[in-house]
Amino acid sequence: MKQLMTHIVAGYPTIAKSQQLALTMAKSGVSFIEIQIPFSDPVADGRTIMEANQVALENGTTPEDCFELMARLKHKTHIPLLFMTYFNIPFRYGLEKFCERAKAVGAYGLIIPDIPIDEEPYDHYIKLCKKHDLHPIQVISSITPEERLKRIGKVASGFVYCVTGTRTTGERKELDSDSGDYLSRVRKHIRIPLALGFGISSKKQVKAVLKKADIAVIGSKILKLSQSCPSGRDRVRRFILSLNSARI
Amino acid sequence: MTSLKHYLLNGSGHFGLYGGRYLPELLIPIMEDLEKAFYAAIDDHKFLEELENLYSNYSGRPTPLTFCENLTRKLGGAKIFLKNEGLNHTGAHKINHCLGQALLAKRLGKKRIIAETGAGQHGLASATVAAKFGMECTVYMGAKDYDRQRPNVFWMERLGAKVVAVEEGGQILRDAISAALRDLISNPLDTHYLLGTVCGPHPYPVMNTFFQKIIGIEVREQLKKQEGKLPDYLVACVGGGSNAMGLFHDFLDDPEVKMIAVEAGGKGIHSKGSRFDHAARFQEGEVGVVEGFKSYFLQDANGQIGETQSISAGLDYSGVGPQLAYLKDLGRIEAYFALDTEIMEAYQMLAEQEGIFAAMESTHALVEVIKLAPKLKKDQIIVFNCSGRGDKDLFITTQHFDKKRFNAFLQQFT
Repeated sequence: MKQLMTHIVAGYPTIAKSQQLALTMAKSGVSFIEIQIPFSDPVADGRTIMEANQVALENGTTPEDCFELMARLKHKTHIPLLFMTYFNIPFRYGLEKFCERAKAVGAYGLIIPDIPIDEEPYDHYIKLCKKHDLHPIQVISSITPEERLKRIGKVASGFVYCVTGTRTTGERKELDSDSGDYLSRVRKHIRIPLALGFGISSKKQVKAVLKKADIAVIGSKILKLSQSCPSGRDRVRRFILSLNSARI
Repeated sequence: MTSLKHYLLNGSGHFGLYGGRYLPELLIPIMEDLEKAFYAAIDDHKFLEELENLYSNYSGRPTPLTFCENLTRKLGGAKIFLKNEGLNHTGAHKINHCLGQALLAKRLGKKRIIAETGAGQHGLASATVAAKFGMECTVYMGAKDYDRQRPNVFWMERLGAKVVAVEEGGQILRDAISAALRDLISNPLDTHYLLGTVCGPHPYPVMNTFFQKIIGIEVREQLKKQEGKLPDYLVACVGGGSNAMGLFHDFLDDPEVKMIAVEAGGKGIHSKGSRFDHAARFQEGEVGVVEGFKSYFLQDANGQIGETQSISAGLDYSGVGPQLAYLKDLGRIEAYFALDTEIMEAYQMLAEQEGIFAAMESTHALVEVIKLAPKLKKDQIIVFNCSGRGDKDLFITTQHFDKKRFNAFLQQFT
């Protein structure tokens, strides 16, 4: 069956509520969850997720809180959980120590959009992830040239996260129509599952995406649903359940 | 000895531990294209001639190197020379890299320029070159800066630029940079991001250093004519570091020339968590990776980037150029800071002694010159970069020197 990946910002609106939201997602049948460690300068995120980062930081959320959150979640669900964040967070923590700790709390992999393969000789990010048995999830875009796709294909593991369009995160009405061509181009060089994300917000879109991709990623849309009062989590649950029929 | 001058313009964009291109994959091809175009352009005589023509016939280069005779006599030590970058068109050195990048954008066939700005000086210079080159221009400005820098917003709008107040984050320069990067992510093909300092991902530090190094090149020639020798000290203020790299670069391979970078000491070198009372990265900064490059940043123990403080918006930034970080580690530059409380006295001294109003940013360098000159011998030479003129600071200086009467004057218009 095709898969869904959803996203939470740890500590948004509180640590406890982000934990409940993640469990709701897991129970509703998603296959992967990205746990975003909040950062002060999240350049690849659109407004919705950026503001959630800010709130989480104002609440005092630390990387350590995020590790503990994942450890608690791993006791209650068996689906793979990933840390998503920006490179300064693990860099400041100590990259190797960060990888060790992430593995110890049960992370499946890391999604760090601002550490491109070119910096590998300087930071050894991929090497350290692999040493600690974490998947360094590569993020690519529709304008990534073939030569880079080839290089990325050689180091990719777990799955590859394909960004649609040339945009930051955030839901939109229309997906780019050429996403089919995009993925077939990527498949030539990358033989592991492909996740497609950035801007997916309806069942119709999920269906369209999953014709070509293995994993549909839904971020901002669910974050927005979760904000509705008082039944945010319930709406998230119903939305995810409604997508399940699109996944076959 | 290998040439530091060459190394700091190297094509890898790495300077020791610092620099790099830490960006989402989406932006990598755009930066690669820019890098290729840049290195091709600087090998092309026509491009360089066009740039030189703009430098002299649009911006007014060479800017004067002025012997500050009265100030020298008053301080009773080394001879003080002032490189007057404030006499450039738009009032500061920023126009140097704006002209260079606009020419490059034209070469790349870009139709639109975007820029970030703090105080508005870089935004103003960007809007100016966009007008000159017939390009569309959007300038991102933190909402706080947008409110407190109304005159520059006005000028940019008159030049035809769209000025966007960024409401996210701390609503300052950092947030404007993030907003500009997001714009570039959304419009990678037709837009050139005219980044305003020697920070950011490769090739920006190299590129802006290249377009700014004209400052040091002129100083070398001018001083040779006036004094027949090299300077003993170069002093420049450092926000991101563009004017400092501009002054220092040509002298990097002359070990007898000492270099001093002066950061914003704000209210003093103290901090609490991610709140800093200053912007002195070489005092309390730690190595980090933010906004596409690795360097010293003011950040908390968890890697969250700090809020900084300074009387001068142009120095009020949490990161510092990676080439300067490298030079600092190497011991090639020394780093000091000037406090907000030291600025007005130095500003007034230069005005009275030499008839020159320095920008608040440049006045930080002057504070260090005033401390240093009396300790040196009379035949020694200090050159300091007056990176901008003080006109733009009217609303800050009046509040210090003549608050009551100036505010009464403003009242007439409400």
